[in-house]
Amino acid sequence: MAGSGFATRLYQGEANINIVGRRRMWFTIAAALVAIAIGSFAINRFHLGIEFAGGSEFSVPGQVAGQTFEQERIYEAVRTAVHDVEPDAQVNAAQEVGNGSEINYKIRTSELSASEMAEAKTALAADLGVEATQISDQQVSSAWGGAVIEKALLGLIIFLVLVTAYLVVRFEWRMAVAALASLLFDLLFTAGVYSLVQFELTPYTVIGFLTILGYSLYDVVVVFDKVQENTRGITAGSSRTYGEATNLAVNQTLMRSLNTGLVALLPVGGVLFIGAGLLGAGTLKDLGLVLFVGMGIGVLSSILFAAPVLSALKDREPKIKAHNARVLARRAQRSDDVARGERSRPANVTESDEVSVLAGTTTPRPGARPVQKRGGTNRPGTKRR
Amino acid sequence: MHPGRQLGVLGLVFVVLYLLVFFAAGAEGSWKQRLEPKLGLDLIGGTQATYIASQQGAPPSPEDMELAREIIESRVNALGVSEAEVVIQGNNTIVVSLAGKAEEQLKGLEQAANMRFRLLTGLTGDVASVALNPPSPTPSASASGSAAPAPSTSGSAAPKATGSAKPSATPSTGGQGGGAAAPGPSVAPSGSPSVKPSATPSASASAAAPAPASADVKEQREAIKKKVGADAWAAAEKLTAPVDLSTDTKAGLPFKPFSTLTGPEVAALSPQMQFNIPTIGCQQLNARPNGSIDAVDSEVVACFQGVYKVMLDKAEVVGDDIDEASPQLDTTQNQWVVSLDFKSEGQKKWAALTKKAFEAKATDPCFVAVSSMYSDAEHCAVAVVLDKEIVSAPQIQAVLTGQSQITGDFNATSAKKLADQLNFGAIPVTFDAGPAQTVSATVGGQQLEAGLLAAAIGLGLVAIYAFFYYRMLGLVIFLSLGLSALLTFGALVFLGRSIGFTLTLAGIVGFIVSLGVAADSFVIYFERLKDEIHEGRSPRSAVPRAWHRARRTIISANAITIMCAVVLYIVSIGQVQGLAFALGLSTVLDLLVVFLFRHPIMTLLASTQAFLSPRVSGLGRALRRSQTEESVSSRVKEA
Repeated sequence: MAGSGFATRLYQGEANINIVGRRRMWFTIAAALVAIAIGSFAINRFHLGIEFAGGSEFSVPGQVAGQTFEQERIYEAVRTAVHDVEPDAQVNAAQEVGNGSEINYKIRTSELSASEMAEAKTALAADLGVEATQISDQQVSSAWGGAVIEKALLGLIIFLVLVTAYLVVRFEWRMAVAALASLLFDLLFTAGVYSLVQFELTPYTVIGFLTILGYSLYDVVVVFDKVQENTRGITAGSSRTYGEATNLAVNQTLMRSLNTGLVALLPVGGVLFIGAGLLGAGTLKDLGLVLFVGMGIGVLSSILFAAPVLSALKDREPKIKAHNARVLARRAQRSDDVARGERSRPANVTESDEVSVLAGTTTPRPGARPVQKRGGTNRPGTKRR
Repeated sequence: MHPGRQLGVLGLVFVVLYLLVFFAAGAEGSWKQRLEPKLGLDLIGGTQATYIASQQGAPPSPEDMELAREIIESRVNALGVSEAEVVIQGNNTIVVSLAGKAEEQLKGLEQAANMRFRLLTGLTGDVASVALNPPSPTPSASASGSAAPAPSTSGSAAPKATGSAKPSATPSTGGQGGGAAAPGPSVAPSGSPSVKPSATPSASASAAAPAPASADVKEQREAIKKKVGADAWAAAEKLTAPVDLSTDTKAGLPFKPFSTLTGPEVAALSPQMQFNIPTIGCQQLNARPNGSIDAVDSEVVACFQGVYKVMLDKAEVVGDDIDEASPQLDTTQNQWVVSLDFKSEGQKKWAALTKKAFEAKATDPCFVAVSSMYSDAEHCAVAVVLDKEIVSAPQIQAVLTGQSQITGDFNATSAKKLADQLNFGAIPVTFDAGPAQTVSATVGGQQLEAGLLAAAIGLGLVAIYAFFYYRMLGLVIFLSLGLSALLTFGALVFLGRSIGFTLTLAGIVGFIVSLGVAADSFVIYFERLKDEIHEGRSPRSAVPRAWHRARRTIISANAITIMCAVVLYIVSIGQVQGLAFALGLSTVLDLLVVFLFRHPIMTLLASTQAFLSPRVSGLGRALRRSQTEESVSSRVKEA
């Protein structure tokens, strides 16, 4: 019953995947990823879009000497001309300015040097069959000046302060720290992907980034809410260490997390698919990409990073430390029972590291729920015997 | 609360929202037009205008240019939550693009940002119309007809209320105030002893000009002399004080030719002539080109409240000296004030200026000028001049050495406006506006359709997944999402019209994301429900328990999103603000749907027989599982 059994247990929230117990592994992976991301910031930096870095703008008349050009035709012509001189340049969609015979098309591209611009202009004029003098070219500034970014950062900081206060009140400071650590990880990771792959950073990327912010915390809060429920009054009993209780909570919300991840990523995937697949470069792709990466890592980190960080922090709390020691001592006492094979399903025990073994011994049969589920103070450990 | 009542409330919300959509906030046109949300620049294009910036004729430095861009941007953003694009083109042009038809909104953005603080040293009424058309029969007619309070009352008739209501009442004040004691010889001396005219009242115009007239100005003045005729010119040059029409209503007639001068021509005249000649009115003064009264080291003439011509001293403090201005509510007086902070150098200059104004004696020209305007004047006034406009002329109540406050009849809006103007004044750049033109969508037309297609695909995928995983409960999810979408759409249309909220592509994607978040609150709830049923509860008792627990989680999680939205909305500007608005809106609507639709519907469903059937509710395995643990025959597709 291994295959379908696992799926069923996953569905029931009893997959018993040892996540929290392997926290060293997750921390190592996370640290490596963050190191790569930061390294990439230092070496690669970011590929800034026209909106941030400024760029060049070509202005082409729509009607010249009896010829009338379509928007698409001009866009293609500019793109070809610019890519001939600078293959990596970004070329934005053509914009119509004015109307009637006065019509003009403006196309913004990444910043080109004066000579590149002149070269592209000559090629463009030849392609369209117009005089080079009829095409004007200019440098344009960033549309997103320092003020926008500054204010957005200020907002971000105020938000982080407020949300920390909120989490401290609603949960406790360790959970707040773990949630923020996970958020930070998500943001660093996403930014790292952008820096590493050299995706272009546009205003839409920043907007997507800010959206991830809320989503990432949202996800963590859902998991922590369950952890808090499972560990309420944990020190009164001695059946589970804090780490195990956290692990149980993670397992119980695993299906929720996977469901959520799927449900949230499906529409974003739709955006990405349409944006990148059907339209090629553009706003939809920018947004879809940053959201897909950020939300994907958000779901993963709420499970694999936030919960382990929390348990690591909690294990340092004196009360919990004492509690964990008591649970382990008690368990050592009863290990004989386990050896006699009272357990019918030792399968989980094969995942052998410290916590896992212990989790195995206390793992109740499928169908057992955490203590608090019945709202009472009866403990599964004692009850089952 | 009874489920029926909650659904009723939701129905009410729905009806009210769509009534607003169809009938409120300037809804007009066909039904279809009333249902159109305001789309952003990136989706449907809009209007574009160019502003050429200059700093005393030359292109500003790149730093000032960036500041100028930010000024323009914040002015645009002050118009509402519409997402404007403001870029610098070349070295001196600022291009502003706004969504939709926005010619009106683009007007006035170019208002120059030259701020000067000048002591108000002389005051006369705008008597141009009276001077040109003297009430012929008798002086008494003029007195009774328009300038009633004129003859003798000193300050009693003065207050601006009457002045602005009846422009014709002002000549009295001006004539009498000016004629009695003020301008002529004393205009200059008080503020700037170095200026000559006081010594030689009949000095020629060019000599009277505080700043040495350049060759260019001399040429212009020669031209004007020809235009108005030598007689009129000579008469004007002889003036040492504003012509007093209260004693001789026809005294203005010799200066009639001056009324034909254009704005630029008036600007070429010396300040004394602009001030003294009765036939030069506010209309002409306001038609002077931008920057014509920017010169720091000369006196200037400006219009105040549309009815006074005032003589202003050299600018001893300029906009550059301001560190920050902000509107504040003075809680002790419960009135709005504008608080001013100066930079350290500026503070010294400001203290000197306010000292001069505060300690002025009753005979000083500045005092005479103020008291002819306010009957209860105690100190001189300092005019805050932005470009050609006096935005405020507060009396100085103390020697101001620290933070200063401008008090007056402010409300929240006017206080903010003055503070903005003061802040903008910190940048010494003038703008010339070009024509507004229509522009097409920035991201290309197909992106809107693609975005909507993506939304449809997203909704479809979520629906398929929900139906597969939760069976009939999927229907609840689907209906809720549909409901959310309708509410969101209604809110978008209404807010677009009422507060100018524009929907951009980023907004659309934001709403697509919120689709996932909305669906997630269902997942939380249903997973809880599954747990409860799994524990052996009947669906009927599981629903309220699961609701109770899930509610807590959902509220905590959504509170964070709302917090994020509110903070970003308050603090940030531009597109980020738009995003925050969309995020907050969709989250609030999600909560609304969760509380007023899903919860009651589930309560109702829980009491039906069908809900108990595993095949229908999708809770089958959980149910069976709780009954017999062995017979697990689940399919694994969803894993």
